[in-house]
Amino acid sequence: MTTLAKPVDVRRTWRAGRVLLALTSVFAAIAVCGVVWLAVDLYAVGVAAGRLQGETVPWTIERQRLGRNLEQLRLEGQRVLTASSPAGRQDALFLVHVLSAQPGMADDPRTASLAAEVERFLQQVEAPATPADMQVWEALSSRLRLMADDLSVEGGKRMSRELGRMSGEMAQASYKLLFNLALMAGFMAAFLLVVRRYLIRPLQRIRRVLSALDPRGPVPAFPPGPMAEIRAVEDAIVRFHATLLENDEVRRRLERLATTDGLTGLFNRHHFMALAADEMARAARYGRPITVGIADLDHFKQVNDTLGHAAGDHVLKTFAMLLGDTLRQTDRVCRYGGEEFAFVFPETTPDEAQLLGERLRTRLLESPPVLPDGRHLAVTFSLGLADASGCGLEESLARADLGLYEAKRAGRNRTVVTRRPDGL
Amino acid sequence: MAKTIFRCWSVFLLLAVVGLAHGAERVLKVGVIHHSPPMSYVDASGGLTGFNVEVMRELCKELAARCETVVLTLDRVVDAVAAGEVDFAAVSLLVTPERRARLLLTKPYYRSISVWFARPGVKPGEARVAVVKGGIQARYAQARGWAQLPFDNHEAIFGALATGQAQATLLPMANAVALQQDPRMSAQGLASTVVQDPELAGDAALGVNPRDRALLDKLNDAIDEIKRDGRFDRINTRFIPFRLQ
Repeated sequence: MTTLAKPVDVRRTWRAGRVLLALTSVFAAIAVCGVVWLAVDLYAVGVAAGRLQGETVPWTIERQRLGRNLEQLRLEGQRVLTASSPAGRQDALFLVHVLSAQPGMADDPRTASLAAEVERFLQQVEAPATPADMQVWEALSSRLRLMADDLSVEGGKRMSRELGRMSGEMAQASYKLLFNLALMAGFMAAFLLVVRRYLIRPLQRIRRVLSALDPRGPVPAFPPGPMAEIRAVEDAIVRFHATLLENDEVRRRLERLATTDGLTGLFNRHHFMALAADEMARAARYGRPITVGIADLDHFKQVNDTLGHAAGDHVLKTFAMLLGDTLRQTDRVCRYGGEEFAFVFPETTPDEAQLLGERLRTRLLESPPVLPDGRHLAVTFSLGLADASGCGLEESLARADLGLYEAKRAGRNRTVVTRRPDGL
Repeated sequence: MAKTIFRCWSVFLLLAVVGLAHGAERVLKVGVIHHSPPMSYVDASGGLTGFNVEVMRELCKELAARCETVVLTLDRVVDAVAAGEVDFAAVSLLVTPERRARLLLTKPYYRSISVWFARPGVKPGEARVAVVKGGIQARYAQARGWAQLPFDNHEAIFGALATGQAQATLLPMANAVALQQDPRMSAQGLASTVVQDPELAGDAALGVNPRDRALLDKLNDAIDEIKRDGRFDRINTRFIPFRLQ
């Protein structure tokens, strides 16, 4: 004997908690890297701004002051050459000396040498200045002005350079920020896609399967997914379906045992009485006709006694099959006990039921039971019928039983309707 | 209930008082010297003014503090600041290791040099040199063994030179400009020479109470601010004919 092994799904599964933890860790690591990467530029911007504020701006202001002092030096030099009095010339020359000696002037080699040159020239020129002196002075004066201009714009140039560098760093930081935001958005989208594909969709599928779960339906089938928890639930649903199916079959078997006769397969008396009561109640509610009957196989004891109980059982089963084939779907019949059978004919008057009984009797005559050894048995039955509309079940069955008695007494193999005392 | 309300009100009032105290204008004692034009002097209207005085006023505005001036002589400035008699001094102190050891000094707000004035023919060391007591120039003269004629302030030196009491002096750059522009000096025929000696030149700073580093930081920030926003230059223009650097 060959056992077919159930195919095993060897795909690896992952615990959702661990997957989420791993994704979160990766996201956090990427976010931290992104922030650090961005922070480098922001720090550089901060440093540049600090440098601008703390160094470049003061330096620029000092350059402008130096330019202003050069201009002052030029004015004092002009005053030295054009002073109307020795005292005025002396005052101007004094300021020339002080300006030339100022530490700020000496810091820059260009201004230091030019100031020294101016100081030497003005020191050696005697009043009144000659045209040649004035010509030299004009050249020096022009150089002082140009130098003052240069110094004034140097600060602007340096600030411009610093600002340009800072703008570049800010632009770079902006790009990095955008990149980081895009990265985070992308990661979030990927994260949501993973959650949707591997958690939400399987859950939706599980909900659909559970809402339509039917033990008689096909076994639920799930595409294999990677999430361990989802797989566990899906496997549990498959097992649950198998259990439901098994329980349903047990329930049906028990129901069959509880409601049918084991030999003939017809309803047993207990179940019949319940069904008949329902039919009686329905007929009474809607004022519809209904007829009950009791049949008994004629001389059945003789069959048992002469041919054995197996033959008797065979006769009973054959008669039950004939009932199943001949009666309408709405008619109810049961093995009432021994060789007795009880009937309920809904929507049927006693006369119509009598026709049915006659049809049954005729078919039994036409198709007698055949024993396994090929012998045909001539079997007949007697049937008592009674109108059950407007009466109780027990009372109707009792009247049908009277009909049966009458049929037996009248020679068997016939149908007798017991009329009610009111003529119905 | 009434007790609870009383407690709540007490806490509220306490917090309010603390808040008001915290937000209240701070009062600073500022040492100033008189008779030191153009840095610190009494003008014709009787008010104290000068480059250092006006700078001090702007710094106090920047610090949101009410400044009360304490008049000192130059030779008392370092001791008064070191002892905490004043919170800071609106006096240009040339930065020296000795001063740095005793005081907190702000960042330099300009650099100074010194100028020698003397009657024609008088060379350093040949005549008594008029100096202000406590000044770096007095220390310089003393270190060289020059005969000194000490005064409490610069205006006294100007007077001594005008009357012929003094033959020579050694002055800081800004005071030298004031002396040169003093009308009394035109008749004296004083000769001036910039002394190129590192001991007489260098950074000028304000002295701060050595126990108040927070004030030092605020003053440094305030100096930066008034230099950036042009207030420093406007004061410079008012009192000195060129830019201090």
